[in-house]
Amino acid sequence: MAILDLNNIRKEYLKGDKKVEALRGVTVSIDKGEFLSIVGPSGSGKSTLLNIVGCLDTPTSGSVLYNGRELGGLTEQQLSDYRRDNIAFIFQSYNLIPVLTVQENVELPLVIERKYSRPDMAQKALAVIESVGLGGMADRLPRELSGGQEQRVAIARALVKDPLVVLADEPTANLDSKTAEDIISIMQRMNTERQTTFVFSTHDKRMEQHARRIVTLKDGAIDKDERR
Amino acid sequence: MGTILTIALRNIGRHKRRTILSAVTIAAGLVVFILMDSTLSGIDRMSIDNMINLTTGVLKIQTVQYEKEKNTFPLTYGINGSLAGLEAALGRDKRVTHATRRTQFLGQLSNYEETVPVVATVIDPAADTLVFGLKQYITGSYFGADNTREILVGRQLAQDLGVGVGDNITLYALTKYDSRNADQFRIAGLLNTADPTINHSGVFITFAAANDFLDLENSVSELDVSVKRNSNLAVFSREVKNIQAVLQKDFPALRVNTFLDIGAGVLEITRAKRVSGTVFMAIILIIAVVGIFNTVFMSVYERIREIGVLRAHGMKPRDITIMFVLEGIITGLLGSAIGLAAGSLVNVYLVTTGIPMEKVVGSIATASYGISGSIYGEWNLPAMALAFCLGIFVATVAGIIPARRAGEIQVTQALRFV
Repeated sequence: MAILDLNNIRKEYLKGDKKVEALRGVTVSIDKGEFLSIVGPSGSGKSTLLNIVGCLDTPTSGSVLYNGRELGGLTEQQLSDYRRDNIAFIFQSYNLIPVLTVQENVELPLVIERKYSRPDMAQKALAVIESVGLGGMADRLPRELSGGQEQRVAIARALVKDPLVVLADEPTANLDSKTAEDIISIMQRMNTERQTTFVFSTHDKRMEQHARRIVTLKDGAIDKDERR
Repeated sequence: MGTILTIALRNIGRHKRRTILSAVTIAAGLVVFILMDSTLSGIDRMSIDNMINLTTGVLKIQTVQYEKEKNTFPLTYGINGSLAGLEAALGRDKRVTHATRRTQFLGQLSNYEETVPVVATVIDPAADTLVFGLKQYITGSYFGADNTREILVGRQLAQDLGVGVGDNITLYALTKYDSRNADQFRIAGLLNTADPTINHSGVFITFAAANDFLDLENSVSELDVSVKRNSNLAVFSREVKNIQAVLQKDFPALRVNTFLDIGAGVLEITRAKRVSGTVFMAIILIIAVVGIFNTVFMSVYERIREIGVLRAHGMKPRDITIMFVLEGIITGLLGSAIGLAAGSLVNVYLVTTGIPMEKVVGSIATASYGISGSIYGEWNLPAMALAFCLGIFVATVAGIIPARRAGEIQVTQALRFV
């Protein structure tokens, strides 16, 4: 069953006086539990598509449906609420809050959610930190971690609230081969164990190899949509 | 809120130098405010005290006719007719501590070569010290037991005439019956007070001397009254006005004036000093506003990506704004606390030791009631509390604009920001 439907999505930007079409009528349906890679050359619209899927940006035209609910016309506050309850992000440059410890960074989405007590938040955060292989590092600050460890924290932060969809923008781009493999296998394991939907943009062939579905974008439109 | 506060607190710690600079700006503002307020309050109190202590008393009672012609210092409109009743009424009022009789006249003082116009005051040596504080400003001695030929002279006046303690000097004046008289007096003491009029043209003799010299027949032109002092000037003023109203009602033929009426000019100068102090304080606060604004603005600019991440995870713009406002408030709290502590510490010195004005600015000669010796500060707790709250308020207001901007940043732009 599709949890996410994008219908004829178009996105136009103004660059100075010039109109730029980042997406030209993208239609794609994503099922629960998919491990989907969006690939394509730079400027093909990968990041724009991820931003629209993640409710960080709104399309110029077309509709986005989550579990059948149309998101067009939601206010900024409502989009914030929707992101908070359903979507998680993993960024290329990790984007951890430098002044918070590993545990506090991982707890952050739960704090924003305001659904759990302090002890419950700590318990959930420590469990997910353990599951990404960072047991014993909960009290460290981001500056005390390697790049790979930081990305593991970012994955733990994304997974701690059991989101419907995890969106990852080039999650292995800044990592060496060995670390990248580790990160991919953690994401795969979480996808299998928790049935969490992963949608990630990548240039990394190793990530592409692990994807069960690859959507290729070219000049803002879907060039290929392959399932494995 | 807990995590928002944690992030705010840790960010403050992350940029220690900048935080310290902003906090110090606020602290400096507070210290200057506390010390200025303390010093101005001290100067005000000292000016008013000096005025009461040297010239006006708390209440001055004269006849209506005398008041009309007071510039000529007539000897003919004394209050002697009402004196007994008046002194009895004052004796019944528990707030009144003492009263003394005085008579003023115009004269000339001469060293045989030079003659200088003077304002002379006839006093009751024993009672006068209970109302006025001339005695504490004397070089030489106060009036002795045989004082019919003794005179106290303003120090500057003595210097102008080239005379000193123990020298004889001639006083000329019109008697009560308008005949000219001159007599020789021995200078018992020189007066160097905070009232330049006394220093430059004041002389004092006793009633015993004046009865002989002016045919005064104990004519009293004014009764000066002291009242139990309340440390709060506003409360004290109300009490004094109340006594004035009662006396004025009971003695309609007399004119009862308070130090507030007589010293209106001095009090006006005091108010003007307050205004200039407030303007100075406002300038310092503006500097603090700019400092805090800059601190929070820089903080927002440096953490745009962080804001993007928080927004991506669903944090509402309002919470982002609160986080940055909190940083401003905490910086303000820090600065205000440091300022209050430092200001209080320095004020302890001001209150206990004071500023020795003569050492700082040399000999003081001013056109109004001035200051002599040391200026002591005053504790003004409401003003200190106000300054503390103002420091925090200023930091909050200064942080709001950049904090609101932080909340309004587009998420996608923030995440792209390098």
